This record gives sequence, structure tokens and C-alpha cells, in this order.
Amino acid sequence: MSKIYRAKMSRRESIRRLSAMTAVVMVGGVPVSCDTVEPEAPQAKGSPSAGHWPGIELEPITGPGYGTDPIVSAPTVPWSLTLNETQRDQVAVLSDLICPADERGPSATAVGVPDVIDEWVSAPYAGQQRDRVQIINGLQWLNDEAQLRFGSDFVGLTEEQRSAILDDIAYRSQYGIAELEQPARFFSRFRRLVFGAYFSSPEGIQDIGYVGNVPIAGDYPGPTDEAMEHIRQVASDLGLPPITEYVNQY
Amino acid sequence: MASFDGFEYEVIVVGSGAGGGMATHVLTEAGIKVLLLEAGREYDPVTETPMFRQNHEAPLRGTSTSEKNFGYFDATVDGGWQVPGEPYTEAPDSRFMWWRARMLGGRTNHWGRLVPRFTAADFKPFSTDGVGTDWPVDYGEIAPWYDKCEALIGVCGDNPGLDDTPSSAEGVLLPPPKPRVMELLLKSACESLGIAAVPMRRAILTEPKDDRQACFWATPCGWGCAIGAAFQTTTSVIPWARQTGNLKIVTNAMVKEVHLDDSGKASGVTFVNRLNLENVRVDGDHIILAASACETARLLLNSKSEAFPTGLANSSGQVGRNLTDSLGAGVSGYIPALRDRPKYNEDGHTGNHLYVPWWDREGQKNGELNFSRGYHFEVGAQFSSPGMGIAGAVDGYGKQSKDHIRSNYGTYIGLSLRGEMLVSDDCYCEIDEDTVDQWGIPVLKFHWKWSEQELNQVAHGLEWGRKIIEAMGGVVNNPDRTADEAIEAGGQIIHEVGTTRMGNDPSTSVCNQWGQTWDVDNLYVMDGGVFVSNPHKNCTITILTLAMRNATRLAEQLIASRER
Repeated sequence: MSKIYRAKMSRRESIRRLSAMTAVVMVGGVPVSCDTVEPEAPQAKGSPSAGHWPGIELEPITGPGYGTDPIVSAPTVPWSLTLNETQRDQVAVLSDLICPADERGPSATAVGVPDVIDEWVSAPYAGQQRDRVQIINGLQWLNDEAQLRFGSDFVGLTEEQRSAILDDIAYRSQYGIAELEQPARFFSRFRRLVFGAYFSSPEGIQDIGYVGNVPIAGDYPGPTDEAMEHIRQVASDLGLPPITEYVNQY
Repeated sequence: MASFDGFEYEVIVVGSGAGGGMATHVLTEAGIKVLLLEAGREYDPVTETPMFRQNHEAPLRGTSTSEKNFGYFDATVDGGWQVPGEPYTEAPDSRFMWWRARMLGGRTNHWGRLVPRFTAADFKPFSTDGVGTDWPVDYGEIAPWYDKCEALIGVCGDNPGLDDTPSSAEGVLLPPPKPRVMELLLKSACESLGIAAVPMRRAILTEPKDDRQACFWATPCGWGCAIGAAFQTTTSVIPWARQTGNLKIVTNAMVKEVHLDDSGKASGVTFVNRLNLENVRVDGDHIILAASACETARLLLNSKSEAFPTGLANSSGQVGRNLTDSLGAGVSGYIPALRDRPKYNEDGHTGNHLYVPWWDREGQKNGELNFSRGYHFEVGAQFSSPGMGIAGAVDGYGKQSKDHIRSNYGTYIGLSLRGEMLVSDDCYCEIDEDTVDQWGIPVLKFHWKWSEQELNQVAHGLEWGRKIIEAMGGVVNNPDRTADEAIEAGGQIIHEVGTTRMGNDPSTSVCNQWGQTWDVDNLYVMDGGVFVSNPHKNCTITILTLAMRNATRLAEQLIASRER
């Protein structure tokens, strides 16, 4: 699906400001020739650049939602996906940096997290549209920052270069740094979506150890012996009255 | 006898939720023909409930949106905090939220199924603490009806014999499920503080009953229950009433007016057929309103006549007044000692297995507290199916963050305060003369203001909630939050009642103790509107019980008048 970007800053103003900071070859996702300055060599670890939140405005998505009476026993998603291929690639790279494969579970992309993000930012609801603006701008900010520091799109960076940027925006404490506040808030929101999508996937459910949603005949079995032993120990360590089986009173 | 579409009937019932569903069941069972008018569409939980679905099967992983306020799979049809085309308004500086559904069975399709009884003191608030108004009935009169109602709908729980937990008769209750480990730790922590945590009574079958199956411990009750284990009128009283042959249901019938004849009796109603926008007038010899407290008040206020220029059955001026909701506030935290705890299936009946009843009426009697009514804590602490909020407050990225979420999931606890607010002149609804809905019906305007009583109670609850979580070795979120910040909006707990209250005095109440309006003797209210106060115990079991009792009396009278 196509979409319209509209930067708050004029392109000329944007180029001027970015050029003043360092050599720039990409702005707003569009290549810009720099005829006087050679791009600086990418650094293994750069320091964060001054504020350059893109301020992209987006046409609101006005298509229909699923309505107030969807057929919940046969769910469907009525809206179209809106991320372009470049954005999808970047979402995929970022998702796996946030949620990589490890010995306990697969990576974000292996369970389709980018599809969920695309569905999310393409939804015609107010909350999702706010996320869309934040995420489209955040993705662009990452590309601009990557260009400023290392002369490449974010996707084209080395692992170390990617980490150098993410380390500057992946912590809530960075909300307090003026030029990093918006990217840090974007990252926090994006991370929440990535982990939410991962752990709610069938593989993520297994990873986290949720074993419910199965019918059980007869009485609810309650905690296992192992779980009871554990909680008794926790209560004992806290100096609480001992935990006993609850006896119903009639 | 009136007739509609070839069906002859004695009684019109407006609304098919808790009150209307129960009244319909009682009447049809007694052989009385009923025309049931429901504003929403036909709804069948057997075929429509998304049993065993998981969040990943839903758009946006099931997350709440403006179209499905409690998440994609919530049973509510065409409703939530807003109903399309059917607004309500708020007076300046008033905040009120009104949850509605437009479906057969109404809000019983998604309710929490929490069914604590009122106590003897709850029915006599004025006699107990000198504040408010006594009910025209006492616990002794209602207790046998609670027993009958609980036995009919199916309630699991026990009789711990506490001041705040009246006991059911022997054999009425079904066994409650075993507590989960977090609830056991909470119980132990409460004991260390001198208070009790006991099984939550819920309208869940833990053993099979009539044509309904026992709970099989999966699928959130709020999505509805295809097997009938979680009580809703659409898998029980309404199908049973249909089987009698004494019932005709008209759905998509939005009642807009109750008519009065020259003799001062209610003679019928007019509804808007929501499918073709036609106004349809139907006659009725007896009319029961159970459209929900606020919708019933709206209907009466909109039914103006020469005899009742300010609304039908409103000679007292009390219709729409005395509106209350439960107080709501949350305290949450996490228990570090439960990181990486052993996993097992914690779905249970998907609600809280234990809760903390109100424990300090003695302190209130002795004047030690600065508020006069009780509250309880509901407990949210189960290892449930992960959703989009699972990342919580995790920082950073990569494996470390992923591991952090894995370790911490299952350590979170939320305590939901549900408290009794006092009836107040500041809280009421009236007709907004400037606004009509898409059917042309004038809408409600809500007025709302909390008093010191409510804020003091919430402050007490926040303090005790923190104490409980800390006694569990927990870390409290937002420990400095004030009562003002924590108190939820009026209506937000969806326990709104009181707008057509019952009483012994026609000048200060709308109905007598039988739900019969003082002004029009063949017009009854059988929803939460009749409540005189709003004890902190979730209101639905008392709505069901009063409807059962009052519809039984009406049935007896109708049968007796036939034999005469």
C-alpha cells in the first residue's frame, strides 16, 4: 500500500541542518548528493547526534475496522497492510535485535512479528495510528542517525554499529536526554510491540511456559506438587504463616 | 389478553439480561405467556463463543480497541463504553462511563460472574451506621431467595462464616476450585496482617447441572461460555423459557415509551424496530422493565403524559436519582521471589479463585475509620495466556531483555478494590433535552461527583493493598499514588444501580419492595434500578434474586386472578 510522507521541515531546511551536523547522503529516505563534503568514514562507535526527529506527518488511515460485531469465532483482519518493503526489512532487522533466537525460543522474525507490527500500524484505530506515526518516524530517525554516524541505512550497518545506536535509545533513563527523548520513546513502544507479538505467538506461548487453554475433565487440578513445594518455601523465606491446602467450609 | 404477531401474552418484559431473563423464566415456567423485547440482536453462545481461541488468532492480538473495548474476543455485541448511534452526555465537571450491550442476554454474556451475597447490615445501612436509607426488605426475607437463585444458576464457593460473607443453605453451593500459588501466598500474607482471603463465589458450574456442562477450566468467561458453565441468560433461563412454549422474543426492539391509559394503568409500549426504523406499538396487561438501571430510568423519564409530566411513575421525583456504581481502584506490584516459578496450568475458572472480603466493620462501628462502608479486593494473579502487554517495564534489547520477561511473567499481582459509595444528591441521570439518539429518543445526561467518603475509602484501600503486596515480599507499582489519582470513573465498574429505588414511602421511592411502581400498579422494575444502596458486593446476584422473588409473586397473583 502506498502512503504519503510529509515532513514538517522543508527538505532544504532539513538538509541544511543535517549538513551542518555532519556529512549526509540520505535524508528522509531520499538520496541527497553532497557535492562539497566527503562522507566521514563510519566509526565503530559513534556518539548520538543532535536532535533530528523527522517529524513526518502521515495521512490518517480511514478504512473500516472490524466493527462492533465481528464474527469472533472466525476472526479476520479487514484492513490492508501499509508498510513498504524497505520499512518491513528494517522492522525485521530491528525486531530480531530486540528479540533474537536463543536456546529457549526462535527469533521475532521466525514467528512473524513483522507481520503483526505491520497489521498493528495499519489499523484504523486511534491508539494504533498514534503508534504508526511514532514508528514511521522512529524508523526514519534510525536511518538518519545511521547515515549521520556511519554513512549507511540502519539495515546496512554492522552489528556493532547497530548496537552503538540502540544503546543510546533502549533505556527509559534516556527519556531525560532532550535529543534522545523521542527516539527512546519510539524504541520503548516498538520493543513492547515486538515482545508482545513474540510471546503471544504459538512459539512464544511455549517459550514462556503457558500450558493452559486445554480442557480438563473433573476438578481443577490446582498447583503441581513442585509448585506447592516452591510456594511453601517462598512463604517460609518471607516469614509468613505456613501455606496449607485450602479446605472448603460449608 | 394482548397479542403481537399472532402470539397472545399477559406480560411484556423489556430487556433480556439478568433481571429480565430471570423474570421471563419464572413467569413462563408458571405458565404465563410473555412477550420479551430486546433492543439488541439475537445471540447464541453455543455457536458464537470463540472457545479455545488464542490472542494470536485475533486482529491486533486481541487488544482492546474503540470497537471492542474489552478486547476482540469479549462477548459484547454492538456495545461497550459507546453504542454506535446511541450517545449519552455528561454534565460539566462530571465523568461517567456507561457500558451497554445490544444483544440477547445483555451484559450477562460477558459479566465477571462474581456473586457475593449482601449481608444483613447491607440491607439496613441506615440502621447500621445512621447514613443513607434502609431497604424495605431484610436479609431474613431475601436469604431463602438467594438460596433458590444460587441453586438455579449454579454458584461455586464456600461458607467461611465471616462477618462479610453470609452462608448459603446446605447443599446449595458447588465446590470452588483450588487456589493458585499466588493466591495461596496472598492468603498467607493476609493472615499475617490479621485478615482473611477466601474462595470467591462465582456463577460457574464446577459440576454438571441440568442441560449445562461443568467448567472445563479454559477460555475466559468474558468471551461467553458455549457449554453453559459460566452463567449467562442465553444458555439457561432464556432457552428454558423458550422450551415452555410460553415465550415470544422480539429482538432489535428498542423500547422508547411506556403508554398509560385513562384509568392510570400502563397499557403497552412503543418500540423502534432497529432494522427498518418503524415504530411499533404493542399492548400489555402487565409490564416489567429490566432494561438496566439507567436505560429503565431513561424509558420512564421519556414516557411523559398529563398525569406524569416529569416521567412515568415519577411522582416522587426519584426516577434517575440515587445513581451509584461500585468504587474502583487498583493496586499492583510484583513478587521478586516468584521469578522463574514452576509452571502449571493456572487458567482455573479464569477468574480469581480467592478474594479478600471486607474485614473491618468492627473498626467502623468503633469510629476508627473515616468512611462508613466496606470494600473487597479481587485478585488478578494468574499465569495467563500472554498478550501484547507482556513486556511490561523491560528495558534494553536482546537476549537479556527476553530473559527478563520470561523470568518475571507470573510475578505480577493486581488487587482491584470494589467498594460501596454512598447515595448522593450529586450523582444522578436525567434526560438531555438537546440530544437524541439515532432512533430519535432523547438520551441521558449523567451528573457525578465523588465525596470525601469515597476518597477516604480508596485511600484506605491503597494503603492496605500496598501492605498486602509488601507482606508477600512484593514491590508495589506507583506507591505514591493518591486516592484522587487512583479512583476510577463513575460507571467504570459497571455496577450502576439505584435509579428507580424501592422503599416503604411512595414520596421517596419509585417502587415498593416487590418492584411494583407506586404510581402505576401494573408496571414493575426488575433490574438494578430498584437497589436502595450499592453494597460493595457485585450487584448481579441480587438483581437475579430480587427478580426471581418479585416475578414469583407476580406469577402467583396472575394465576390467582385467573382462578377467581
